[in-house]
Amino acid sequence: MVNKIKVENLSCYYNKKCVLESLNINVVQNEILSVIGPASSGKTTFLRTLNRMNDLDITYSRKGDVYLDDNNIFDMKMESLRKRVGMLFAMPIPLPMSIYENIIYAPKRLGLITRESYQDTIVEQALKDASLWNEVKDRLNSSATRMSGGQQQRLCIARILAVNPEVILFDEPCSGLDPVSTAKVEESMLELKQKYTIVLVTNNVKQASRVSDRTAFFLMGKLVEIDKTARLFVSPKEKATEDYITGRFG
Amino acid sequence: MRKSLDAVIETLIFICGMLSIVFVVLIFGFLFKEGFAFFKDFGVLKFITGQFWYPSSEPASFGILPLILGSVLVAVGACLIAVPIGIMTALFISEIAPKGVRDVLKSLVELMAAIPSIVIGFVGMVTVVPLVKNIFNLSTGLTAFAGAIMLAFMAIPTIVTISEDAIRSVPWQYKEGALALGATKWQTIRRIVLKAAMPGIIAAIMLGIGRVIGETMAVMMITGNAAHIPRSIFDPVRTMTATIAAEMGETVRGGMHYRSLFAIGLVLFIITFIVNFTADLFLGKKKNR
Repeated sequence: MVNKIKVENLSCYYNKKCVLESLNINVVQNEILSVIGPASSGKTTFLRTLNRMNDLDITYSRKGDVYLDDNNIFDMKMESLRKRVGMLFAMPIPLPMSIYENIIYAPKRLGLITRESYQDTIVEQALKDASLWNEVKDRLNSSATRMSGGQQQRLCIARILAVNPEVILFDEPCSGLDPVSTAKVEESMLELKQKYTIVLVTNNVKQASRVSDRTAFFLMGKLVEIDKTARLFVSPKEKATEDYITGRFG
Repeated sequence: MRKSLDAVIETLIFICGMLSIVFVVLIFGFLFKEGFAFFKDFGVLKFITGQFWYPSSEPASFGILPLILGSVLVAVGACLIAVPIGIMTALFISEIAPKGVRDVLKSLVELMAAIPSIVIGFVGMVTVVPLVKNIFNLSTGLTAFAGAIMLAFMAIPTIVTISEDAIRSVPWQYKEGALALGATKWQTIRRIVLKAAMPGIIAAIMLGIGRVIGETMAVMMITGNAAHIPRSIFDPVRTMTATIAAEMGETVRGGMHYRSLFAIGLVLFIITFIVNFTADLFLGKKKNR
């Protein structure tokens, strides 16, 4: 077990109000770690700290350290951190361009394309990895905004894969999707686990139990419990965890 | 009782709504009537392509090519100055400036739109005109270039406010998505924000152009009023609007000269109509998406 991400004593604040309190948590390489918890438990704040998306918010401040492969992420350049730690949002928002351009956008900006002919390969591989290739291979040049919700979300996954990150953060990726599309996204997650490390924030407790290796339960800005998913769902140590996963509150 | 009051108010509102349409149609009809009477006597082609504007000599020559070129030269010059400055200001206000600066800048730009054109013309005459004369070592500073600078000042507020709206209405998630992929702030602005806001920005530019072409007082004071075909932007020019304003007082009502000015008005009307129509096309495209 190699720790990919180490979080040490992390506290986060919005306008001086503490939303995440002295968090210590590790993410193991090639695992899916899901984070569950009721609203305002700090799980999204935690996720958005990992690739420093929160830094865009001027009311946000933090204490503590986060290490990615032993490098402190707060010392890294934001762009290179986000290249290594990709993020998928709750709402699938394709950029306003074609399917092809959506995927090639980031590799181009980041200067990852050395040869012009290489582009097609990147696009095809990314779409295949996101299990979208067969559905869109004949209309790569049509607008991405015309796809269905589930396809858009998988396009967003493909877009992240094209940059070849090490960690992918999923922020409630299926909250707007129907059960069939959800199943497809979950399927791609399980496949992606072979190559990437995944952190999944979800409101869907069942989803956490379906896909993740370990599950962390957050409540009111604190980590209550973290354990192997199989164990946490069968015999949680804390009363609050049990209440939440059995649907008694939250 | 209540029902009849309702009907009265409804009719009143209907009439007010119709009035604006009626006015436009009346103005257009009037321009057409006088303009066409002139075209019948003089000829459209000769009017538009004629190189000499000598309305009061014998025989009179009514060629408005110099006036059209004057208007176009000033308008193009103004756009070259106003468009980049306007768009960058809009970007600064909506994307880069801290909140305090943004509010101040926004109200200042709106204030700029409220300056009467005669004041801009006056200020331009005593400041920009001598400056242009000295810098470029010209015999007179009253040139198309000076006019373009002052007109740019008048177009900038329009361009800034409308493009700023367009840029602000780009969904926040686009920016977040691009940033999360590791794009820098500038890459995000250039490839995503500007691209998504483009229809709105083009509409802003068109409306700015409309304002510039229709402007009269400032250009009349600054551009030198010489109705000849300009060879460069540093020549004095006379615009279509300035011609109408300057000569209407000296014409005989119903005469050739009088009608020729209406014909100029008609040409101007058609140009601004095309510009506004294009702007609407782009704005409409943005809404339909």
